[in-house]
Amino acid sequence: MFKLSALQHDALVEIFNLGVGQAAAAMSRIVKEEVTMSVPLIAFQSRAQVAQTLGSGEGRRISAVAQQFVGAFNTEAFLMFPEEKSLEIVRLMVGQSLTMEELGEMEQEAMSEIGNIILNSCMGAFANASGRELQGSLPIYHAGTGDDILGLSGKEWDGVVLALKIDFNIEKRHIHGHVAFLLDMTALQDLQQYVDDYLAGLTK
Amino acid sequence: MITILVVDDSRVSRLLSKQFIAQKHPDWTVAEAASGEEALEKLTHLSPALILLDLNMPGMGGFAAAEKIRPLRPAARIVLLTANVQDATRERAAALGIGFAEKPITETRIDQVIAFLESR
Amino acid sequence: MADPSPYLLNSVLKAVRVGVIVLDAGQRIVLWNRWIEQHACLPATDVLGKTFADVFPGMVDGRTHVAIRSALLNNFASLISQTLNKAPFPLYANPADAADDARMQQAVHVMPLDVPDLPRHCLVQIGDVSMSVSRERKLREMAVELESQTLVDGLTGIANRRRFDLHLEGEFRRARRNVSPLSLLMIDVDDFKAYNDSYGHQRGDACLARIAAALDAVPHRPRDLVARYGGEEFAVVLPDTDVEGALQVAEAMRTAIAALLLEHAHAGNARHVTASFGVSTLTPGQESTTGALIHGADRALYQAKRAGRNCVMVHAHEGSSA
Repeated sequence: MFKLSALQHDALVEIFNLGVGQAAAAMSRIVKEEVTMSVPLIAFQSRAQVAQTLGSGEGRRISAVAQQFVGAFNTEAFLMFPEEKSLEIVRLMVGQSLTMEELGEMEQEAMSEIGNIILNSCMGAFANASGRELQGSLPIYHAGTGDDILGLSGKEWDGVVLALKIDFNIEKRHIHGHVAFLLDMTALQDLQQYVDDYLAGLTK
Repeated sequence: MITILVVDDSRVSRLLSKQFIAQKHPDWTVAEAASGEEALEKLTHLSPALILLDLNMPGMGGFAAAEKIRPLRPAARIVLLTANVQDATRERAAALGIGFAEKPITETRIDQVIAFLESR
Repeated sequence: MADPSPYLLNSVLKAVRVGVIVLDAGQRIVLWNRWIEQHACLPATDVLGKTFADVFPGMVDGRTHVAIRSALLNNFASLISQTLNKAPFPLYANPADAADDARMQQAVHVMPLDVPDLPRHCLVQIGDVSMSVSRERKLREMAVELESQTLVDGLTGIANRRRFDLHLEGEFRRARRNVSPLSLLMIDVDDFKAYNDSYGHQRGDACLARIAAALDAVPHRPRDLVARYGGEEFAVVLPDTDVEGALQVAEAMRTAIAALLLEHAHAGNARHVTASFGVSTLTPGQESTTGALIHGADRALYQAKRAGRNCVMVHAHEGSSA
């Protein structure tokens, strides 16, 4: 699988940590509680590998929020949590005792916003670091297995997934999630180029 | 002889801080540590005037490191760096008597930190 | 086809029943339509040229402000959900509400705006959704009201807890009058939380519905009642039934559930969904209560769990009538 140099890897991890840090700050103001988020790990994987990590093999269901980004490079980005964790997040963010029915209605809308905040923050951090322009779509909510969501039951695709592990902490609860960026060969090359440009700019 | 200690698990981050500091004060020494643990080790033979601490580090996080460093170097200025600025952060930093600055690290922000150091 | 005239567009902006705010690259307000004037109680002359932070100091660094910066800086659109942000702007339906600081419920959209020959602007659109929200609340109250009167469990179609309580009371009194034995089964689906965690809530619900149907299909007499007692708990009332009779019914039900062969990959030793049963029988005396009967069945259920699940346990009451 594709690999970055140690410095390129470090730069990307730092950029995404900045992004989710800012997203956490925004979310803490919504929920008026302490919220922290970090990206402990990033990896380049195939769609099948990511789906495997998400428990597709056991039929585990995922709640996902997807956004398209176009411009300096094109990617489809996903924020993903196990289904029962996303319910927990919404309950924590909405901050009241709700019935399962009420939660169910609210879950999609609230998760869509949370995905929007986190994905925009990540891509924003990248765009700012690399000085590149992108355009983002509005979030769309999906539920299903990792296979369903990453579109594995479909055509051939020769790209890679930039997969981020996310540690999300709110009200002393620790929740693990993932962010995935689908990158075709062009996008992957663009990404590398921008990271290199960013690093070159640092060591003037 | 002014020494600054930059503590951050990201090499790129350390590079940035180091660079902006060197631009303003090429005569200052900038030491680096990649973790809270390594910082404590370096402090056994360094007396920095200013310690920049990344908040989001694996293992010993920024606040934990600050708590351990404070008694070792009571005269040093400690500044936490974080992208996640919220009330809880502000309060905890204030309680520890340390400053904080927002990430991403920019020239302006480093200038402000230096100004904070120089305002003795 | 020529663009509409500025006068026409202006009239439209004055007339639309949504708030339209446009901010320039410096976050200064450059458009502030009639609707917003009325509902923010701020005339355009007071705000045009001022920054977002100047006009809405309480919203600085909040979700909407972050969205605005995101639109201007990064060209990103944002979703500001009703669920998490009921009333981000200080907007009021009428002056009386303004006096009480009772904000209207808002639907807010923030998006980047391309303006020819100028740096990127930001468009904020605000709608009043108070009516929808209050309608939703009324509907929910009505649903709760209706539900409090129903005797049927919505998910499974069998008797609900309310019906169970009523029926048990009635049969208990009758058993006391007739000096006849009354039996109660308490049933709990084994490892149900693990089932929900692995397969999701929709499949969990479907599983409960099938279990309920299986229980109800086991032959029973007119005054027997199978009910949903709680989340994954069921209860069966068996009037004029002694311990042996109750055991037979319980065993038939236990087998019926196991025979469903509902796959459960995360259930300890079993590979399919099973349930544990607690049996309790009383011939009620003057001092007896339904509580004792239920308590006995619960204790037996607990023993069944401890014994390894997927089994039936009986509670031994001291004396046959208390």
